[in-house]
Amino acid sequence: MNAIILSALWGVVMMYTGVVTRNTRNHGVMAIIGIILLTIAAWLEFVGVQFFSINLSGMMSFAPYSLVFMMVMFVCTLLYFILSGPDMKDVGDQVSDYYALIFFVLTGVSIVAAFKTLLMLFIGIEIMTIPLYILAASDKRNLKSNEAGLKYFLMGTFSTGLMLMGIALLYGAHGTFFTDGINLGMAAVSPLTTAGLVLLMISMAFKVSAAPFHFWTPDVYDGTPTVFTSFMATIVKAAAFFAFLRLFENAFGKMHVQWQLLIAIITAATLLIGNITAVFQQSVKRMLAYSSIAQAGFMMLALFALNSTGKQGLILYAAAYSLATIGIFAVLVRMKDYTFEGFNGLSKHEPFLSVMLTVFLLSLAGIPLTAGFFAKYYMLVAALKNGNMFWLVIVAVLCAAVSIYYYFKVIQSMFFKEGANTGMRTGGVFKATLLVAAILVIALGIHPDWLLNLLTY
Amino acid sequence: MSTTEILFWFLSALAILSALMMVTSRNPVHSVLWLILVFFAISGHYILMNAQFLAIVNMIVYAGAIMVLFLFVIMLMNMNADTEPQKNKWMKMAGAVASGSLMLVLVAALRDTELRSKGLEGAEGSIGLISQLGKVLFTDYVVAFELSSVLFLSAMVGAVLIGKKN
Repeated sequence: MNAIILSALWGVVMMYTGVVTRNTRNHGVMAIIGIILLTIAAWLEFVGVQFFSINLSGMMSFAPYSLVFMMVMFVCTLLYFILSGPDMKDVGDQVSDYYALIFFVLTGVSIVAAFKTLLMLFIGIEIMTIPLYILAASDKRNLKSNEAGLKYFLMGTFSTGLMLMGIALLYGAHGTFFTDGINLGMAAVSPLTTAGLVLLMISMAFKVSAAPFHFWTPDVYDGTPTVFTSFMATIVKAAAFFAFLRLFENAFGKMHVQWQLLIAIITAATLLIGNITAVFQQSVKRMLAYSSIAQAGFMMLALFALNSTGKQGLILYAAAYSLATIGIFAVLVRMKDYTFEGFNGLSKHEPFLSVMLTVFLLSLAGIPLTAGFFAKYYMLVAALKNGNMFWLVIVAVLCAAVSIYYYFKVIQSMFFKEGANTGMRTGGVFKATLLVAAILVIALGIHPDWLLNLLTY
Repeated sequence: MSTTEILFWFLSALAILSALMMVTSRNPVHSVLWLILVFFAISGHYILMNAQFLAIVNMIVYAGAIMVLFLFVIMLMNMNADTEPQKNKWMKMAGAVASGSLMLVLVAALRDTELRSKGLEGAEGSIGLISQLGKVLFTDYVVAFELSSVLFLSAMVGAVLIGKKN
């Protein structure tokens, strides 16, 4: 609860910062202070210090699992603020308001990490997505940004409508919003429950852009100003996944056999469509959008398996994927040319950045010694342990192999092709933060237990 | 049949009929007007269940505010029966099949459902009264109520952000 209250308040603080000072550097500093405080607040709650005692009447529970996830997300946001925050002023003048909206998104992220009733799920998802519609459309003079905002808004509200319909049907079947009250096992499966379950599954698949509900993703990610795509594709996506897993574990865990095949089909489709379409992309930004769909396929494996390995793996996956993607996007924002050719010869002019990018790309591809390897490993082990559908694991491994092709295409452009110097502006802080992110990626790749041991704290 | 029953059947028929008319009428303005009628019929259902507050809010917010917005959008985009885009025949067919399947599933789901006697509110029930609603909202659901203020705040900030000239 600490983090929820503080992030909502800090959003308001950010708005007032915009009134007090017009200097965007100060806005950035305030936002970084805020996110550090937020991380500390979540940590304090983790060790048992509550700022307020609030009677939640069981609507949220702050178990270590949720709090660890929140902290991971806050640390990723901190890196995102330091890396990409200075670039926000290129989108528009209201930098402080963008920061305020991001803090509101973090409120939503904290709510969906801790919800125990469908009501809080709905409120959390909405708080998470409504500021994002605005961030997607924030580049007002750019037609593509407007299109992205409108498309995201229409698709998002449509899927929210499906979610509400599902919640209404579940309420009709069980007379309660609490996930524990819905999770009654196979004996309680009625047609009404099943219909509600499927509608919730569809709407959550929309939110995490799992196939066949992924069509909005490439256009939205491509049209959104790149600084905000970075946030949208990482923290928000990981949080939506976390909500998806929590919902299906807490509310439908005892009917696992009922929906496992459906999730397996969605997972396989997401993996295949995401990876194969990513191969044909010309623009790195669009490739990353498809890669985010492909990575979503891997995260779906946690949902398919629904065991403790998968739950641990999802946290690791969220951290590995977010760190790497934030790093790549932070460099991409400062590139002039978003196509693969734009990366030609980068290693000659910016050797340090190329090495960092290589680490992130290797992590996304799942090469050993990077966090991505263990993340994928945990997911596959979880699916194997579940033991039901072996073919899904084979599809996942094949798709991981395909993904190496398009990630290495960027590395190939950087190191083995000639290109002109585009004169990227980089600073000491930027490089140092990239180094920190890369070190985190490698550290998690060598010793994932540093993160996972927190779960059993 | 009692008066309540007659009213129930009348309002149900009205709601379904106007919903169908809304979808099928070719003039967007007529569609909006039929939609208003749907909302009024549903508000009537709420009153039958003694949920006066919900009925009034439904009328003010949906039939009032949101429909005015709809009409504005239609006026600004200058839509009428002539400018209706011609859809592909196959697209129409696919849409019909998809929505038909959804309806089949939902009807099948609802058909087997026995209405829970304890959940059913008659005309003499007090759950829908505004004092009850206020009590529930500020005791059981107070956290959700307060947190939804963040939602509205962010929507407000966003509206200003999008609308502001810079």
